[in-house]
Amino acid sequence: MAVQAATSGRGTDRRFHWWWILLVIGVLLVAGVFAFAIFQPIKVLPRMRLAPGFTLVDQNGQRLTSEDMRGTVVLYNFLYTGCGDECDRMNATMQEVQQRLHDTDLGGLPVEFVTISFDPANDTPETLQRYAESLGADTNQWRFATGEEDRLKQLIGGGFEAYYTPDGAGGFQFDPTFVLVDGWGIIRGKYRYQVAVPDADRILRHIGVLAEEVQKATGPNKLIYEAAHLFLCYAP
Amino acid sequence: MTTPPSQTPEPSVHIDPYERGWIIAAIVMLVVFALAVAVASYSLGIQLPSPEARVDPNTISSTGPFANPGLRELAPGRYEAYILAIGQGWYFNPREITVPAGSEVTFYITSPDVQHGFKLEGTNVNMMIVPGQVSSLTRRFDEPGEYNWVCHEYCGTGHAAMYGTLIVTP
Repeated sequence: MAVQAATSGRGTDRRFHWWWILLVIGVLLVAGVFAFAIFQPIKVLPRMRLAPGFTLVDQNGQRLTSEDMRGTVVLYNFLYTGCGDECDRMNATMQEVQQRLHDTDLGGLPVEFVTISFDPANDTPETLQRYAESLGADTNQWRFATGEEDRLKQLIGGGFEAYYTPDGAGGFQFDPTFVLVDGWGIIRGKYRYQVAVPDADRILRHIGVLAEEVQKATGPNKLIYEAAHLFLCYAP
Repeated sequence: MTTPPSQTPEPSVHIDPYERGWIIAAIVMLVVFALAVAVASYSLGIQLPSPEARVDPNTISSTGPFANPGLRELAPGRYEAYILAIGQGWYFNPREITVPAGSEVTFYITSPDVQHGFKLEGTNVNMMIVPGQVSSLTRRFDEPGEYNWVCHEYCGTGHAAMYGTLIVTP
C-alpha cells in the first residue's frame, strides 16, 4: 500500500510540473508580444501604398520614369518655378536634407531627390535647368521634371495626393508636400502638415530609419521587422 | 501486494466532464470569433481609421489645408474633404459637401477643441475625432443620394445639433 501511494504521488507531481512549465512559457510568450507592441524596440516607416508610375522629362530633356528610381530612396516635392516664399521654404528644406545627408552613414543606400513641376506651360526643361542652377542644385542627385498637364494632374493629385490648382492669376494654389518613396516603389512618408518638428529633421530621421531597415531586415531579422510593421511600430 | 505497474495515476485536479466540455467550447469560440473578425476585416476591406498625422490643435485652423476646410478635387473622380469638428458652437465646417457619383473621397477630420465623432449614416465611415490628430478614411460613393453625418461622441450641450450632409449627385 505504501509503495502504491508513493508512486502515484510522484506521478501527479511530475504532471503538475509539466503543466506549470507550459503555462510559464505561454505567459512569457504573450508578455513578450505585448512588450514588443507596447515598448516598440524597433521602429519602421509605414508602407502607405504603392507610389504611382510615371514618365516625365527632366531638366536635360531626358526621359525620367518611375522605373529609373527602383532601388533608390526618392524624396519628391511638387512646385512651379514661378512661386515665391512657399517654394523657397521647400527648397531650403530640400537643400538642408541633402547637406546633412552627406554626414550621415546610410550603409550605401542611394538617395535621390526629384522636384516635379505642375506648370508645364511655363516650366520647360530649359526653365527647369535655369531654376536648378539658380538653386545651386547638384543635378546628379536632385532632378527637376515635368510632363503633360493632364497626366501631371493624375500623377501628382491622384497618385501622390498632393493638391494643386491654378489660382486664375497665372500662379497656383497648392499644399507644399514632400513624399518619401522607398526602393520598392512604396510610399513610406508624406510631409505636409505644420508640426512642431521641422520637416527636414523628420525627413532625415525617417531616411535613417528606412536605411536601418534595409540594412538589418535580412534573414531571421526580417521576421522581427515584419512584426514591427504588424504592430504598427511607426517612427514618430 | 500486486500493484499493476501501468496503472494511470489519478489526475491531481478533478474536472467534471461537463465543465471540461464547456471550457473547451469557450476556448474554441474565442478562437473562432478572433478568426471571424480577422477574415471579415481582410475580405471586406475594413480599414481602421488610422491617425493620419499629428497636428497642433492651436494652429490647425490657421495653417495648412484646414485653414480653408472643404472639398478639393485632387484629380478627376478623386476628392479629399477637410472637415473641422468645432465644439465652440457645435458644428462641422463645412456642413455640406457635394460630389458626383462614382467619386472616391478621402476624409481628413480633426478638431481644434474637444473630442468628437464622425459617422456617415449608411456607410462604414465611422471615426473618432481627437484634437491634435487628423483622422482619415477613404470611401467610394457610387449610389446617388443624401448621406447625413453626425457627431456620435458626446461633446457638450449642443452635441445633438451637430451634423452635416454629403450629397452624391447622379
